[in-house]
Amino acid sequence: MNIGKISIKNFRYKPLYTFLGVLMLSVSIALLLGIQKLDRSLKNQMENNLGNIDMVVGAKGSPLQLVLASVLHIDNPTGNISCTEAKTLAKNPMVEKAVPISYGDNYQGYRIVGTTKDFAFLYGATLDKGKNIERSMEVILGATLAERTNLKIGDTFQSSHGLAVLGSHEHDDLLTVVGIYRPTGKVIDRLLVTPLETIWDVHHHEENGKEVGHQDEHVNPDHDSEEGHHDEDNVLEEENKEITSLLVSFRNPMALLNLPRAINENTNMQAALPKFELDRLYQFTGVGIKVITGIAYAILAISCITIFVSLYRMVRDRAFDLALMRTYGASNFQLIKMVAYEGLLVAAISFLIGTLLSYLGIYLIFKMIADQYKQQMPIEFGYQEFLPTGFLVLTMVLFAIVFAIYPIVKMNISKILSHEK
Amino acid sequence: MIRTQGLTFTYDTDDAVFNFPDISLPENEHLLILGKSGIGKTTFLHLLAGLLSPIQGEIQIGKVKVHQLSTRQTNKFRGKNIGLVFQKNHAIQSLNVIENLEARLFFAKQTLNQETMTEVLKQLDIADCKNKKVQELSEGQLQRLGIAMALVHQPKVILADEPTSSLDDENCNKVMNLLIQQAKAHHANLIVITHDNRIKPMFKNHMAL
Repeated sequence: MNIGKISIKNFRYKPLYTFLGVLMLSVSIALLLGIQKLDRSLKNQMENNLGNIDMVVGAKGSPLQLVLASVLHIDNPTGNISCTEAKTLAKNPMVEKAVPISYGDNYQGYRIVGTTKDFAFLYGATLDKGKNIERSMEVILGATLAERTNLKIGDTFQSSHGLAVLGSHEHDDLLTVVGIYRPTGKVIDRLLVTPLETIWDVHHHEENGKEVGHQDEHVNPDHDSEEGHHDEDNVLEEENKEITSLLVSFRNPMALLNLPRAINENTNMQAALPKFELDRLYQFTGVGIKVITGIAYAILAISCITIFVSLYRMVRDRAFDLALMRTYGASNFQLIKMVAYEGLLVAAISFLIGTLLSYLGIYLIFKMIADQYKQQMPIEFGYQEFLPTGFLVLTMVLFAIVFAIYPIVKMNISKILSHEK
Repeated sequence: MIRTQGLTFTYDTDDAVFNFPDISLPENEHLLILGKSGIGKTTFLHLLAGLLSPIQGEIQIGKVKVHQLSTRQTNKFRGKNIGLVFQKNHAIQSLNVIENLEARLFFAKQTLNQETMTEVLKQLDIADCKNKKVQELSEGQLQRLGIAMALVHQPKVILADEPTSSLDDENCNKVMNLLIQQAKAHHANLIVITHDNRIKPMFKNHMAL
């Protein structure tokens, strides 16, 4: 027999009380850990998706929409911009890299992005299998996409018009898979990458072949905007072509101050800063997270009060037991140790259950995100993520214990023993 | 051996001062202290057990002058040398019978093997209840467990506070016989305080408070 054993016996003596205490505490720990993890993952995932993109240039409209559409690929584009104008911008000395993208088609809901070779560099994507694109109508698959669809290298498929699976018609031209990227954990994992020419070719044929032009956001031959921009040196046939947007990385941070303003004021294009826009978005959506975090802290406080109350009740209810132990020769310190062990046992078990619960919750939420948004999020739990919450719980439990054992210190054994129940 | 001299005590809440008569009990001798409630019987017992400190006077158990010990030393001394029997609440609720004996010995910094502990329970006729929870015991069994708790660690003095007041005649006789017999077997002084006249004939030494 020792103090620890007696604590465990006490712990099991009133299972319902103990269970309630453990339940409350573990749920609040799970909520706290889960919310922190979710918050951090979403932020990371968003920032991760930015890759090296400092600025997006697209048609005028909502800057947030432009970022969501062209960087995160979860919204419709604001419109198109002229290829020529984009080219001029790309030559600006402050621009390190400018990658044009054009999209508007999908395969089974995954977006097909027409772009240049540089697109892969923005996300640090390298080829896992196959070869690089050499000509129009060739496609490289993102890793998640290759896994989810049954496409293999050499396969051909028809793209569907529009960005969603529903309500679209299929283009006649066949696209060929030539390569698959390694997983990056970024947005490129769920995209089909193809040269700009593919998009132009597909839609060009359609325009000639079909009388009724469907509402087409990318090949809208909007020449008005280009009147003064017929570059002499632009020998390419691109002068009439359009792209959806231009992803830009800067040579130095100074560009952040000047370039976007210059574009917004002097051209009929719009420049948006993804970091800034996402931060803004986050301030709105963050309210939800903040509310839930607040609730989790409230539950934590309540469960610590529960621990305190149950320890305090135990000290009160078992005043006679504790007095008996004193007559057996137990010191105050031994009794305090006994109660403290009991509290810490509750805390430790709750922390364990809470951690498992949060794991499970995060797993389910990530799975849902993966299914619904075609976005793979890595589940990683570092021990340092537990430290702040663990420390907080421990502190609160210690407070509860200190308050609960106070009556032991003040205990008048003689009085308790002479007032037998 | 237990001896007191000029014991005086007061609870600071009121001004009533208790003056207790001196006692001197040689080894193997027992004492019955009779008196009505409210005249300080339990106070006297708690003074002997070191649960209260006298404002004046001396208590000597064996060779130790208990009134000179510090709180911590008193605690230790009580754990080793004194066994207390109460009217009710004889054992720790969350432990079973044998665990209670183990805990009692643990706090007195002693250990006994299972056989010896079972032997103690057997003498008190509760060996069958060894693994039962305290709540599952009957009143009589509980009282006997209380006795076991008071003497399993071989104390020099057994102090019993109204051990029979909630028992019927039959159990009263049984418990008192057991208590006296066990005290003898362990060479301990037995001091019983009570207002129960039924047990008067069982004691040679009487004292009225």
